[in-house]
Amino acid sequence: MPSNGSSSGAAVWAILRKECRSEWRTRYGLNAALLFAVTTLTGVSFAMGRLTDRTDMLAALLWVVLLFATLASLSHAFVREVEGHTLTMLRLVASPTAIALGKLLFNIVFLAVIEIVTVPLFLTLMGAPPPRWGAFLGLLGLGSLALACASTLVGAVISQTRGRGALFAGVSIPLLLPVLAAAVSGMRSQWAGGPIAAEARLLAAYSVALLAASLLLYDHLWED
Amino acid sequence: MGMIGRWLLFLWIAGWIVAAFLWAPLVPVLGETTRVLYFHIPAAWVTVVALAWSMGHSILYLRSRRMEHDHQAAAAAEIGILFCVVATISGSLWAKAMWGSYWNWDPRETSIFFVLLVYAAYLALRSAIEEEERRARLSAVYSAIAFVSVPFLIFVVPRIYFSLHPDPIINPRGKLDMDPRIRIVFFAMLVGFTALFFWLQSLRVRVARLEHRLDQA
Amino acid sequence: MSAALATAAGGAPLALEARDLGHRYGRRTGLEPLSFALDTPGVTAITGANGSGKSTLMRILAGLLRPTRGAVSLTVGGRSVTAAERRRWVGYASPELAFYDELSAEENLVFAAEARGLEGPAAAAAAALARVGLGARAGDGVAALSSGMRQRLRIAFALLHRPPVLLLDEPGSHLDDEGRTTLAALVGQERERGMVLIATNDEKEWGLAEQRIELRGRGLGHPA
Repeated sequence: MPSNGSSSGAAVWAILRKECRSEWRTRYGLNAALLFAVTTLTGVSFAMGRLTDRTDMLAALLWVVLLFATLASLSHAFVREVEGHTLTMLRLVASPTAIALGKLLFNIVFLAVIEIVTVPLFLTLMGAPPPRWGAFLGLLGLGSLALACASTLVGAVISQTRGRGALFAGVSIPLLLPVLAAAVSGMRSQWAGGPIAAEARLLAAYSVALLAASLLLYDHLWED
Repeated sequence: MGMIGRWLLFLWIAGWIVAAFLWAPLVPVLGETTRVLYFHIPAAWVTVVALAWSMGHSILYLRSRRMEHDHQAAAAAEIGILFCVVATISGSLWAKAMWGSYWNWDPRETSIFFVLLVYAAYLALRSAIEEEERRARLSAVYSAIAFVSVPFLIFVVPRIYFSLHPDPIINPRGKLDMDPRIRIVFFAMLVGFTALFFWLQSLRVRVARLEHRLDQA
Repeated sequence: MSAALATAAGGAPLALEARDLGHRYGRRTGLEPLSFALDTPGVTAITGANGSGKSTLMRILAGLLRPTRGAVSLTVGGRSVTAAERRRWVGYASPELAFYDELSAEENLVFAAEARGLEGPAAAAAAALARVGLGARAGDGVAALSSGMRQRLRIAFALLHRPPVLLLDEPGSHLDDEGRTTLAALVGQERERGMVLIATNDEKEWGLAEQRIELRGRGLGHPA
């Protein structure tokens, strides 16, 4: 009699698949996010023009665009549950940790999709010189991971309050600033041909710290 | 704190302020701006103490669920942000007097600004939740996460950021050769500010406890 | 562990106890303190005026709400179950349980089964749907279901993992006569193997129960 059931691993995976399927069927979240990211990028490109020899500004602008995309879109995963009133069902079938990890993985995938569209567009529109691909993608990956870790937790918190978009942005910003600083610094460095080890380590350490803290805190997220 | 305690605190701080102007000498490099030492750094110190106090109680709340910890955490944040604003503004005025510009994003300015953001975010979050228990729980969760970020914000980021903007600004504050009289006044003010914080904290917590009792009735 | 508990849930020590259990929503009392102990299979009705706390009690028993006072203990197979684990042993259906509109009834239950870590999720989902008479509408999107069918889906969700304890909050709402007959049959089946708690104001549903817990809360608009 399968009355017990088991592991969180199965739950995380099931939630991730469900999120992807739901998102694919409704798509308004992804569409809005892509539109927002491309709009921001267009604004930046229009205002700044080509910046081929200003790699310092390129590095900063890239991460500003990604930051804005994060702030505008990554709360979506939880807001949708709250608006659809499906959180009760979710809490009954999976532990809080599994729910949050599933949502985190979804946010990572979501951010990756946004970046696949936005980053090449950015490099092209802004006339960026070719990056050192290993370092570039590594920083992009680590930075995105950190952004997703922080945003998922804050999203879970904010979805239970009266505030939504603006509050999410304001409350996430202190947690996202270390990512911004390290990622911009590293991105500049890789364009200048310098080392990125310090920044990469920072991003990795921060992601690990956020994730570890989150795992301890997820259990306290939903109690009513 | 009783009547006597409050008067003592008042006289202590007032007395040492007078001493700061009349008794302690000036630091040659800083000139008249030396005086800011006695406000700005104690205010920044209290900001950090308040932050630690608030975050510590947030974590205690999550473990024990006793509302007292939430009162302490929220009160410390409200008072901490006041001191943080004082520290930021006094620092900015000092920067203007010393280096000619109000804000430069040097490591210390950046750090205090980040702390201000953390306080603001915490208080904004609290104001968006009406139910007492949920407010306590969610703000404690946020506080615990911010606790992880703070070392990065205060120590690591300013260093990286500063390397992005290597303005040749000489920062003499770290290298003060303090005349004993300066040191005495400085530590006295440090003590005074800390006592001031804990007094304000106790008042605010008492109000919170009364509000809580009112809610439960 | 699964096998041992599976046989145990069929007939060995199963107990649900509430000790001085109560809940306040800020200033309002959601549930007046109460205590009870149930230790035999069977059906218990929970009755009381509107606002007396029936739904609050059900949420607390399901582990969805942390009570402001008192404690719940659930024993399954002689072993005590923690609050976090309670969701595995309890089946919960209530009016505020909602499903994912963008998925079909079957997809919702398959997701629930996968997240719970049940073996053979598709089969479990199909079986549950059949038991409530939704087999023919399994592939329909939840949005297309009538309120009565949605109610059946909720009951199917509660039964999905064959739990020893069923918490049914107003299970008969929106059901037509055929639905009510099905519900009565299901309750008849479940009462043999475990405990069923039905929160209701409907006399027809009281009739299914052997015993009653009456909540004497203040209710809405009732003077102290």
